[in-house]
Amino acid sequence: MFLIASCALAVPGARAATFEELAAQADAARGADHIPQAIDLYRQALQLKPTWPDGWWFLGTLYYDSDRYAEGEQAFAEFVKLRENAAPGWAFLGLCEFETGEYQPALDHIERGLTAGGGVQPEVEQVLRFHEALLLTRLGLFDRARQQYKPLVRRGLKDTALIAGLGLNALQRPMLPKEISEAERGLVIAAGKTAYTWMAGDDAKTATAFRDLLNAYPAAPGVHYFFATYLLQSHPDEAMAELQRELDENPRQAGASASMALLLLQDGLAAAALPYAKTAAEEQPANPLAQYAYALNLSDLHQTIEHLEIAERLDPLNFEYHMALACAYAKSGRHDDSRRERQTSIRLAKESAPDGPK
Amino acid sequence: MARSKRAATIWLAAAAGMAWAAPPAGDVTCATCHPAEARSQPKTAMGIGIELPPDQETLKAHPKLTFEKYGYTYTIERKGGTSMYTVRDGAGELTLPIRYAFGVHMQTYVFDYRGRYYESMVSYYPKIGGLAVTLGDEQRRPHNLVEAMGRETPNSEITACFGCHGTDGVSRGRLTLDSLKPGLTCEHCHAGADAHLQGLSQNKPAPPPAKLGAMAAEDMSNFCGQCHRTWEFIVRLRQFGEMNVRFQPYRLANSKCFLGDDKRISCTACHNPHADLATGSSSYDRACLACHTSKPAQKVCPTSQTNCVTCHMPKVERAEGHAVFSDHQIRIVRPGDPYPN
Repeated sequence: MFLIASCALAVPGARAATFEELAAQADAARGADHIPQAIDLYRQALQLKPTWPDGWWFLGTLYYDSDRYAEGEQAFAEFVKLRENAAPGWAFLGLCEFETGEYQPALDHIERGLTAGGGVQPEVEQVLRFHEALLLTRLGLFDRARQQYKPLVRRGLKDTALIAGLGLNALQRPMLPKEISEAERGLVIAAGKTAYTWMAGDDAKTATAFRDLLNAYPAAPGVHYFFATYLLQSHPDEAMAELQRELDENPRQAGASASMALLLLQDGLAAAALPYAKTAAEEQPANPLAQYAYALNLSDLHQTIEHLEIAERLDPLNFEYHMALACAYAKSGRHDDSRRERQTSIRLAKESAPDGPK
Repeated sequence: MARSKRAATIWLAAAAGMAWAAPPAGDVTCATCHPAEARSQPKTAMGIGIELPPDQETLKAHPKLTFEKYGYTYTIERKGGTSMYTVRDGAGELTLPIRYAFGVHMQTYVFDYRGRYYESMVSYYPKIGGLAVTLGDEQRRPHNLVEAMGRETPNSEITACFGCHGTDGVSRGRLTLDSLKPGLTCEHCHAGADAHLQGLSQNKPAPPPAKLGAMAAEDMSNFCGQCHRTWEFIVRLRQFGEMNVRFQPYRLANSKCFLGDDKRISCTACHNPHADLATGSSSYDRACLACHTSKPAQKVCPTSQTNCVTCHMPKVERAEGHAVFSDHQIRIVRPGDPYPN
């Protein structure tokens, strides 16, 4: 069959194949694992009938399997135009964009793949969750990324890519594992292993892992902040000292500055908190925690709302930002907005995991 | 015109003079200028907060209480000036003196046992005039006498207990029970009251503490919520379902009529913190009608203008019916509706 199709294509002046013939030949080529020919045939068939969803789907998967991600992206984009509720189409579109470096659309489309229609198979979901976590970290949304890593760790998954991803998240490096420099690889892997132990819920080993990490990398940016996030849950009294150590080593660490501001504010030391919060927001305006900490330190209610709205836009699934917005809107007389934010907060709190690293 | 201007000047001068005038010579206390509040507040539930031996009125009134649950027998028996809490199983018993009786109506006990603090497994409920399992511990199943005696409370929780039920029992996040005074004193809520008094005693200008009644509903909910739990606290701890009916600021904030910038729905719009809780259902009509009047654009209840809370703030039973709370999520309650939030 395949040979016949190839011959037909090869003969100049031969009768042009119909769409049905090309589609059948493309399917046959794909079934025989003749990928370049299958791609060519699908493209010809789609020229005759661009509204053929299966054609775009198979063309996209063939490009994806051939590591031709930019072309795969175009094929899946056509497919989802025709099949808006097809979760796998959005998922593969996102995965192609992940490979071509279009990180924000990749995240949007992977998340749509996880929620559209009937969703995806569990194995695919796992892959998507992992990519979602990588992308969230790459985009600086570390808290949200951590929420995605948790179920993967609890399912017992453990491979180098996951550990590297966890390490980048723990150290708050907005990058992908492939972007880690050789000089930093050891640090990232060590931090990833520590994060893994913590997320797995092994309390005894977690303390040891942190001690080892701090001994091995006492001056590495992000290490003391990572330890401080652990202490915030187990020994909050000691967290502030650890944040200060981080800022001594790495004064531009916005997460550490923001956390310091929040701790000081919690202790009623608003004047001391403000410079930390301001620094955090100025250093990393796209860091939602920094925007949140700055907002809570501002006395002008309108400015508070402005920065809380930025935090909420940057990380819409974090219910802390919605809660703060609910209160701020309530104080400013925006009653409908306040009610909406309260309902959103409650829904997100119910949906999010109550235990483990936050 | 000139006459009215002069009158206003005199009024302002008098008002200013009253505000800054030194009180009569001698010991200055809050009662010097606020006698009514100083007289009534210490007798309220918030004013008492916690009963220390030998002044434990509830326990004095019930010299012997017994209760059985999960194979354990509980006895609280008055001996001298102290009530002793004993829990027994078939093999042994554990007896501890009740040093801290928390609450005035419902009462739960806190023990210092081997350097750790425990909240009693059983509490006193006035509705039954006796003991039953402590609210929140319904699902606990003790495995030994210590667990049957009570639940070990972490430091963050026990400091919150003493911080809200007493004064000077917590300093910088640590227990300082040697200086514990039962109940809430003026300074507890009115920060700056002590400095104000000190200034007045020395005939120095002493600005009074901030006027709490001026706070809008959201701020006051957060203020009172420091002890009664804020809306954010409950969401953060994900305490959803009927268990949260005890936490009024959370329930109130979820009400459709809660307007955060309006004083008419604040805690003190209904409750006078210097007086005992009003229990008559018509006591709160005034607060409801402050908004729901017959004026245009205001929603008026088509059923009744009295006893609003009986319909719109339904009672919710907890602790197997021994404790009853008014649900502060004010709403139109329809039969069969699930408990919201």
